[in-house]
Amino acid sequence: MKIKFNKQIYSLKAVKLAIKDYQKLADFSLEQKEKYIVVNLTKIDKDVKEIIKDEFCNYVLGFKKN
Amino acid sequence: MEKFKFKNKIIMEKIKDNTLKFVFNLKNYPLESLYGAAYVFLDKAYIFLDSRAKDKIQVSLKGKKKLNKKQLEELKGEFLNELLNYTLRIKLAKSNKKIREFIIGQALISAYGPEQEIIDDESNYQDDPLGIAVPWEEKYGKKK
Repeated sequence: MKIKFNKQIYSLKAVKLAIKDYQKLADFSLEQKEKYIVVNLTKIDKDVKEIIKDEFCNYVLGFKKN
Repeated sequence: MEKFKFKNKIIMEKIKDNTLKFVFNLKNYPLESLYGAAYVFLDKAYIFLDSRAKDKIQVSLKGKKKLNKKQLEELKGEFLNELLNYTLRIKLAKSNKKIREFIIGQALISAYGPEQEIIDDESNYQDDPLGIAVPWEEKYGKKK
């Protein structure tokens, strides 16, 4: 599962902080493209597979406000 | 995809998979207000932001539970209201900044009270007005 965060809107720091808090639920890898921060999720906990993408995006956005 | 023309602004809207996507022009709203509005909505919906053109932001609002078209439209309306609310708050905060700082400054100064004065402490560490820095031998003589 891939999530592309636009660098104009999301900061790398917010994404990294969110990954740190979510690391028990999946394996995360980060890749930086020209305009996007690409987060790749593998080995996702089956209990959260349906919602992890949306919840993770909200979580990153929550850090952005702080 | 529906298009609405509103005062030269074209707002594109798309509803699919319990998600409403729309694009708006960032020239009319500061990015900070978008973060503020999004933050308020984190409990109500899943929000994802993207930008594919300069000054254009695509907002995806996904219901946390199954929502119909009308409910998604209402969610979007509430989001835009919150966006407007934050835009106004930021604008007011900027225009009132000086007066706010002045009021707080006055409040802090008046907290000292009229009889208390701010004493300028010009002494340095080498001054010894109480005479406590005198060595024992000098004060009481050498031990016998």
